[in-house]
Amino acid sequence: MSWLVAAVDWQSRAVVGRHLRVYMRNWHTALLPPVLEPITMLLAFGVGLGGYVASLTWQGHPVAYMTYVAPGLLAYATFMTAIFQSLFGAFIRMRYQRTWEGQLTTQVELAHVIWGEVMWAGLLATMYVALVAAVLTSFHAAGLVTLRLMWLPALLPVSFVAACAFGALGLCFTALLPTIDHMNLPVFLLVLPMGLLSSTYFPLEHPVLVVINLANPLYHLAQAFRGLLIGGPAAAPLAGVALLSAIMLAVLVPLDLRLLRRRVLGE
Amino acid sequence: MSILLEARGLVKELGGRRVVDGVDLRCAAGQVVGLLGPNGAGKTTTLRMLYGFLRPDAGRIDVNGVELGRDLARAKRSIGVCTQDDTFDGDFTVEQNLTIAATYFRPRPEDLGRRVAELLDRFELAPHARQKPETLSGGYRRRLMIARALVHRPRLLFLDEPTTGLDPQARMGVWDLVDSLRTEGLGIVLTTHYMDEAERLSDSLTVLARGRVVAHGTAKVVLGDLVGEHVIVLDAAAAPGVAAWLRERGRGEPAGVLGAWHVPVSGEELADFARAFASLRYEVRVPTLDDLFLKLALEP
Repeated sequence: MSWLVAAVDWQSRAVVGRHLRVYMRNWHTALLPPVLEPITMLLAFGVGLGGYVASLTWQGHPVAYMTYVAPGLLAYATFMTAIFQSLFGAFIRMRYQRTWEGQLTTQVELAHVIWGEVMWAGLLATMYVALVAAVLTSFHAAGLVTLRLMWLPALLPVSFVAACAFGALGLCFTALLPTIDHMNLPVFLLVLPMGLLSSTYFPLEHPVLVVINLANPLYHLAQAFRGLLIGGPAAAPLAGVALLSAIMLAVLVPLDLRLLRRRVLGE
Repeated sequence: MSILLEARGLVKELGGRRVVDGVDLRCAAGQVVGLLGPNGAGKTTTLRMLYGFLRPDAGRIDVNGVELGRDLARAKRSIGVCTQDDTFDGDFTVEQNLTIAATYFRPRPEDLGRRVAELLDRFELAPHARQKPETLSGGYRRRLMIARALVHRPRLLFLDEPTTGLDPQARMGVWDLVDSLRTEGLGIVLTTHYMDEAERLSDSLTVLARGRVVAHGTAKVVLGDLVGEHVIVLDAAAAPGVAAWLRERGRGEPAGVLGAWHVPVSGEELADFARAFASLRYEVRVPTLDDLFLKLALEP
């Protein structure tokens, strides 16, 4: 279980600290995606598609489409930020920048590098969610969406845990794929289908998808955020997020360690 | 002199092949140990085990009195590493590279600001402090790599081919730095392909071949043990009978360099050779570590 203990070691925090420092230096460019993406998405899906849909029924209640999409955006931001950071960001640090190799010549070990990457994916996604939430608050103030704003802070720890799990998933591909061009495989075979078929932007009630989504943490995350922000059942999807995230971390982090030990250390 | 590094019986298999097979190595404070061997001899794998990057399959490593396998983090606190390839952090400037490297050590280096300034001055990096490392010349990049390896004041420094790819002036600059670090009492383990570098810098050499230590000692002892006392250099085309003379002594064909044979011999063999080939024109010189590499490379 030493891989689990490494999560709370100071070395893992030092790795996160390094990534945070790089991010904060480029905050003005790093700030754009989380601010612009929800505005673009809300305009495209909410105003554009919403013009045709107007309102839909969720949990037996009529909900304006823009209001339905808003929590989905937060779940989508959690997933996409974490998975892209652990796919592309981690791959570049491992392969091209050789940041990991430099870290491994110090008191930092591979388990710390992995936990550092996983927790950085979690932290970055949480920061993005906070920024998207700020944008949604302004939409709420403008009367474009109707949300229970008091629940917004509660999303942050949920987002962090789920994003860590997504980060651990992304690192598996980072460990396996030979070049950055091969990233198209997980992006088009897993990330985009999962991102869109999880009731993030529109409800999906096909019986096959419903069964598949029982094991899909992003689906539970979107449902939990919706329950908290629109009003509806949130306990069950929150439990789903917690359980699936715990399973993913327990399975994927040791797997990442094994795969990356072979890839990075040659063992 | 206190022993900073003691490795015994190191074994490592990679990809189903035993690349390090029972290596022993010691390094004391104020000593430079050169780790030599042809490509594939197991130098880098040995070095990576010594600084805790790889775990040995068997054997024991003690660093500054701490067993590496038992308390890796504590042992690594005493170690500084300059890898063969540049692994500085390209997201940060030269100065920030030193600062960020210090965050990977506990206890944290004392008075870090002064330490960083001191290293920038000493390694002549101060004028480049705010530049990105990739804008530096090869020699200054190496300086940054060594400075970074020293930021936490280690007692033992590992240098993996520290001057590969540098021009002669930059190489000599690195030699001066290594020499001054030795004078200050650092233990240094270095690998190199440059024979002059190994001879000039190392107090003691450990020669690896096929994962095993084949010689250990000063350059003179190592050469005497493995190569011989003299090397006869003669034109291969104009040396009929020399191959047969070598075969009679159980020797294979000698190393050939640009049409010349380089035949290592003992003093007694040199006398025999002179008698057997009295009319042959040849040159006799002292052996170098290049002869050692050629010999090791030719051995099955």
